[in-house]
Amino acid sequence: MSTPLAETLTQLRVGNQKSLVDFYQRSRHLFARWAQRKHQLPADKAHGLLQDTLLDFYDHVADGRITRMPEDLRAYLYGMAQERIAAQVPAHQPLPAAEASRRQRLLAQFSQLSTDCQQVLTYFYFRGYHFEKMGGKMGFPNATVARRQKSTCLRKLYDLVRGGYEPITGEVV
Amino acid sequence: MDLRPYFDELERFADGQMSPAEQDAFELRLEQDEALADAHAAYEQLTADLRWAAGHDTLRLRLQALDDRMNERGTALARAQHLTKRRQRRGAVWGTLGAVLLLAAGVAAWYLARPTQARPTRNWEAYYQPDPGPAVTTGLLHTRPLLAEALDQYQSGHYPAALHSLGRVSATNVGADTLLYLRGLMLLRQGQGNAAQLYLRRVSDDNATSALARRARYHLGMAYWQAQELAPALLTLRAVAADSLSPYRASARRVVSAGVLDGQ
Repeated sequence: MSTPLAETLTQLRVGNQKSLVDFYQRSRHLFARWAQRKHQLPADKAHGLLQDTLLDFYDHVADGRITRMPEDLRAYLYGMAQERIAAQVPAHQPLPAAEASRRQRLLAQFSQLSTDCQQVLTYFYFRGYHFEKMGGKMGFPNATVARRQKSTCLRKLYDLVRGGYEPITGEVV
Repeated sequence: MDLRPYFDELERFADGQMSPAEQDAFELRLEQDEALADAHAAYEQLTADLRWAAGHDTLRLRLQALDDRMNERGTALARAQHLTKRRQRRGAVWGTLGAVLLLAAGVAAWYLARPTQARPTRNWEAYYQPDPGPAVTTGLLHTRPLLAEALDQYQSGHYPAALHSLGRVSATNVGADTLLYLRGLMLLRQGQGNAAQLYLRRVSDDNATSALARRARYHLGMAYWQAQELAPALLTLRAVAADSLSPYRASARRVVSAGVLDGQ
């Protein structure tokens, strides 16, 4: 039986990933021992598997595939990890899911942007910062500059999405 | 669908940059213009995907950074534990080595110091049975005061003085063999085995069956040993050990059976 949409799930949806990061910090050692015992995985591979599993879980929460917080998060995540091993999913690849390919393409294109552009878009679309705060974080002189930079970066990303363009790696001016 | 013709409007609308009037007009157009509505839907999908991608990437980077930190911490802890263990192991090795050396030194000291039959001491003093000479009596003091003085000095351990006093004793009063014997004894006690041999040999050779000669023979053997002449020492002491009338038979046997003069 699952609990109703819990506070943790809500926090995850609005971008607070602390619970997953804390889970990793708390459980990495135990998970590696479990993976070694059950699947003869070396420690570094087990750590990578747990990271991928947590990313999967985050994706499921973010796109609505998980709407109720599992009663036993640990057992749920270990189950997901076991599925990944059983399906022999290569490391750092997501599980098959609806729309996954489109999102994965976008993720790949997002990583082709300059570090500053990634930062600007993350601040605005993921963190939800307004232009003034984002300008302060990025060292822009004012909110207008921040808005223009965000707009430029979004267009660069869209150009990549449209395809036919070389990867854009230039710095934000 | 290509969003570029609509990008400015869609972005300003989504980011809340339009004035209320502009916003109302744009919403009205969204209801009437199908192409604009499709572009708006595509834009929303793009930004939703972007939100997901940014979140996914952020979590990935955070987990990776945490993993690196934990690995570094684990490595540092392992290194510290390794160093501590190594220090403890080294301490234990040195401690054990010290204890073993101490024990070995103790055992060696005990082994070398013990006077056992298994490993007899080679100390001359340990085997020598001294002859104190005639007792210094009142009668002797009156009849032969110089001899009494020499004997008293000899028995007190003052050998040079005793030798000097003995030199003043006349052979007519005491007897040549006795004087030679006493001189030999005194020289032997003084550590002059070579010189002692001369006097003791003369006494032991002159009258081989006399009691004095038997005594002199033992001391001659010990004089040879003192002078490190081990072969004649062994030969002489064997003869003493075989002589049933010698008062030093037991002492000579002890030397011979201990083997301290063998193989040197």
